Amino acid sequence: MSELATRPPRRRLFDSQVLQDYGLVLIVFVVFAGFAIAKPAMLKLDNITGILSAVAIIGIMAVLSTFVILTGGIDLSVGAIMGLTGLLAQGILTKSNVTALTALALGCAIGALVGLANGIIIARFDLPAIVVTLGSLSIVRGIALLIGNAAQRAVSQPAAYLRIGGGKFLGIPAPVYIFLAIALIGWLIQGRTRFGFSVFAIGENERAARLCGVPVVRTKTLVYVLSGLGAGLAGMVLSSETHTATAVYGTGYELNVIAAVVVGGTSLFGGRGSVLRSVLGAVLIGIINDGLNVLNVPIAEQLIAEGLVIVLAIAFDQYVRRER
Amino acid sequence: MLEATGLSKRYGAVHALADASLSMRPGEVHALLGTNGAGKSTFVKILTGAVTPDHGTVLIDGVAQALGDPRKALAAGIACIYQESNLVPALSVLDNVSLGAQPVKSFGQLDRKTQRAQVSALLEHHRIYLDLDASVQSLPTVQQKQVEIAKALARDARVILMDEPTAWLSQVEVQSLFGSIRELTKNGICVLYISHVLDEVFSIADNLTVIRDGRVVLTSKVSTMTAASLAQAMLGRELLAESATQREVGYLESAPAALECRHLSQPGSFDDINLVVRKGEIVCITGLIGAGRSELLQALFGATPASTGEILVHGKPMRMRRPNDAIIARLGFVPEDRRDDGLMMSHTIRDNLIAAHLGQVSRGGIISRRSARALATRVVSTLGIVPARIDMVVRRLSGGNQQKVLMGRWLAGGTDILLLDEPTVGIDVGAKAEIYHRLRALAEDGAAILVISSDMEEALTLPDRIVVMSLGRIVAEFDKATATQDAVLEAASAGVSGNV
Repeated sequence: MSELATRPPRRRLFDSQVLQDYGLVLIVFVVFAGFAIAKPAMLKLDNITGILSAVAIIGIMAVLSTFVILTGGIDLSVGAIMGLTGLLAQGILTKSNVTALTALALGCAIGALVGLANGIIIARFDLPAIVVTLGSLSIVRGIALLIGNAAQRAVSQPAAYLRIGGGKFLGIPAPVYIFLAIALIGWLIQGRTRFGFSVFAIGENERAARLCGVPVVRTKTLVYVLSGLGAGLAGMVLSSETHTATAVYGTGYELNVIAAVVVGGTSLFGGRGSVLRSVLGAVLIGIINDGLNVLNVPIAEQLIAEGLVIVLAIAFDQYVRRER
Repeated sequence: MLEATGLSKRYGAVHALADASLSMRPGEVHALLGTNGAGKSTFVKILTGAVTPDHGTVLIDGVAQALGDPRKALAAGIACIYQESNLVPALSVLDNVSLGAQPVKSFGQLDRKTQRAQVSALLEHHRIYLDLDASVQSLPTVQQKQVEIAKALARDARVILMDEPTAWLSQVEVQSLFGSIRELTKNGICVLYISHVLDEVFSIADNLTVIRDGRVVLTSKVSTMTAASLAQAMLGRELLAESATQREVGYLESAPAALECRHLSQPGSFDDINLVVRKGEIVCITGLIGAGRSELLQALFGATPASTGEILVHGKPMRMRRPNDAIIARLGFVPEDRRDDGLMMSHTIRDNLIAAHLGQVSRGGIISRRSARALATRVVSTLGIVPARIDMVVRRLSGGNQQKVLMGRWLAGGTDILLLDEPTVGIDVGAKAEIYHRLRALAEDGAAILVISSDMEEALTLPDRIVVMSLGRIVAEFDKATATQDAVLEAASAGVSGNV
């Protein structure tokens, strides 16, 4: 007891709480500044909104997937859900007279429903999330192909639906607003609600959480519902932005989402992390992709650079947060 | 044989150890006692060479030793057996004992034959009976300790330091470990025995040294001490204070039952358990490991529901299907394993405290930071958790303070039936005393407390009533006034002595 109370606090830079909490902000800033020095064009407002716009879809999913990963789970089905909801929204809008908002709500509901199925199987029957969502990735993609083949379908109306992905307000594309709104909501859920608290408690120590009366099964189910909902929304943003929908949209996106969350510093083992970190993680990856584009770096080198950054970011994060 | 004189070590302004001396003769078991932070571990670390002292000398057989070099300490014959195992679980007993010192033939080939011959001769000499080919992970904890002892002996250790060697052992296993220690002393090896458990000190040690605040406050023969005088030396005050309000005789008999179970059974764990805990009463369940005590507690709390039988809370039948059912009925549960079942180690004191009372600190699913803070601050100050910072991560607290957080979790929310599984294991005497006081105070305020304990001293002094379980059944019950250690131990081992 006395040992703890009397030990003088260390003053080393890397041990500071500030760096642990905000080191990522620093990295984002340094990387951006580096690109800006190499190519001042990076600093143009158009380019900055371009970066945000490019990361919006991954960002939306990363924010909501953060809850899954905070419980120590993982959701691999998000990419497949995107393809399905984009396609369904296109189908409903062309075949009937529903409003854009109804289609949007319906798509989100479908995404949430897939998430609910994932969640029930994982939480209720205590099966490994990686296997269950790998299975549902395949099933959902298969359903999407049954509905729409691999053909690309045009999404041409109504105009309101096209504004979801293509509209602008104050010069900033609509997906950026959606991304920021989801981030804000996610942040509030995480920090202010019983659900958010339960997510962290389960991720840190599920047995202890259960013995405290935390509703483990309900909470673990709900995180997949949120993640599915995010994927459903992202799928429609993508279809609206590209004016097209196909069953194969979103292929491989699940890995980008996980990369954003993990680069943000949320632990894959659960219990530690934050929605805002995932936002920064998505933005960091976006800046790197954009910067390399602006510098005309070929795609092969871009992929290598992106991989390196992911590993380096995690290494740095582990270093500043290591147990003392 | 070993003579340490005037050892001092400062960390900044803090004297971890000031002018501490201790001497041991061959074949002596010497107990080193003190609360957490008293300086015991600094003392041990100086002897093993992990820490270089500022002043002081260590003589072995009259020869001054170079300090601050672990390899030299080992070469001089000082070995330490730590609380946590230092063995390689997957390797055999044979390989663990000679690890790092295996005999080799030419070209670095292991000389299996010589190795086996050496190790079996060594074990024979010290009367340690182990299966050389069993993998260490398959052995019970006590045999793992014996492997560690053998490992020390294989390095020609003549002074063996044992840091809390019985922390994970049952009563019977402790006796078996003591057997091994006595064999060692017959061969002239001396043992420095570091422990919180006063009972053990009385049964194994010849002499003892008590350290408090880095200073040696007492060196004595064990035979001239009593548990009370020892505790007082360690704490500077008394362990179990008399209860503040002396209750009338017969008060408990008339108190209403708070928690009751009837014919509670869970196949393979416990069978037909009938138990009553009255309001204001502390009941202790004791027995051997495997008697079904923890399983019973978990069933009462709904963590692993019982298959048949009835649980009544304040006279009303309750179904305990999950912990939340029990929490709603105002039960609290402090599990034995703080790290795995109890605490969220990398979360703050506050989050650990409010975890069981989210309903109290939130409205409509939104947590009120203010009430969370208020609740946590209240518990931290009532229980005297140190440091009193609610944003402190629990992992950084001492064992005693972690235990207080775990108990405080239930005190925060008006829990009036508290179940505790081995609440003072691995906790120093100071924190133990505080926990006893707190439990007693709770009972006097009308709480019903059911505690599992394997610590005989605790089982005999803390509760009002002692229930003994063996092989899943309640085999005996004692009032505090009539219970004796012999009677309780006999009841606990009845029917199982054959297969231990």
